[in-house]
Amino acid sequence: MSSALWTAVLASALGTLLIRLLPLLWMQRRLQRQGGDGLEAMPQWLSLLGPLMIAALFGVSLMPVAPGASSWFATAIGVLATLAVWWRKRTLGWPVAAGVAAYGVVVMLLGTATL
Amino acid sequence: MSLQAASSPTRPWLTGMSEAIPLLGGYVPVAISFGLIATQAGFSAWEAVAISTLIYAGASQFLFVGMVAAGAPLWLVVAMTLLINLRHVVYAPNLAPWLSASRLWPWLMHGLTDQIFALAHARLPQLPAAQRLGWYTGAALLAWLSWIGGTALGALAGGELVARWALMGEILPFALPALFLVLVAPRFTSRRWSLALGLTIVSALLLTTLGLTNVAVPLAAACGALCFQLVRFGHARKSEHTQGEHHE
Repeated sequence: MSSALWTAVLASALGTLLIRLLPLLWMQRRLQRQGGDGLEAMPQWLSLLGPLMIAALFGVSLMPVAPGASSWFATAIGVLATLAVWWRKRTLGWPVAAGVAAYGVVVMLLGTATL
Repeated sequence: MSLQAASSPTRPWLTGMSEAIPLLGGYVPVAISFGLIATQAGFSAWEAVAISTLIYAGASQFLFVGMVAAGAPLWLVVAMTLLINLRHVVYAPNLAPWLSASRLWPWLMHGLTDQIFALAHARLPQLPAAQRLGWYTGAALLAWLSWIGGTALGALAGGELVARWALMGEILPFALPALFLVLVAPRFTSRRWSLALGLTIVSALLLTTLGLTNVAVPLAAACGALCFQLVRFGHARKSEHTQGEHHE
């Protein structure tokens, strides 16, 4: 890489770090100033955006790697399997493992069926 | 790995690492793809690894190497990279109330990706204050190292891996939606939250299918926030605003 390209990499890295870091410093100062319960000191719009950003990430990640009728069907089955295991276990690991397994089985079965 | 467990008897960094394992299913295949694409775009293997180590932001890294390979002006490459990462601006303030006093936290924000934010937003409030730094360090470190390792693997042997394990590359990334689903499901605590979250999910998916992946997250979250503010069922309580935080 040329020195100009290295500068671009470093500028992107530093900028990304600052995007993640500066809002933290702002919020920590706000919390120190206001004291008391952290959640009370947080602006309402910000506490609203947290869960909604996670929901948006879920929506974006639902898009299959290779979109098609079979992968959308597998996605639906994977989501249902994840939800079913989460409903029973209320844990983090097992529902993810069950979802991936269900998704994989459907992808492989439908892939074999269409060969 | 219980979402409801308040604390863990094991070392917090080890708990963080074990709870971040589901992320690997999504991280490693994408990192392998990035390593492969970066080398195809003319970067050497160690340059690809350096980009993953320093920038560490999935979608923007693909854009970075793509724009450089296409000969775009470097100032535009940097500007677009930062624009895509701008959504991260709301992540750290949402975690701030649960961060213990330590000078390490600002540096650890390098590891605050979409997935680590989602995981930490669910888990940090459940952990004792003394365990939070260790837990976050373990989770973020495993995710970072898997991203770097995946990039190296993709840059050195990506073509062969993709040819031999194509199906695994299609199946393993489902770990990410499954993980996000587990993290978002406990937040459906009222009709108002359910409607806002449901609208956010559907609009994010729609925007992604339309090819607007890079703006889908902030736009969909804004749609959900607007819905939450506009729609009220009966006499909505003010405390409902923070219900999503408490997993009631």
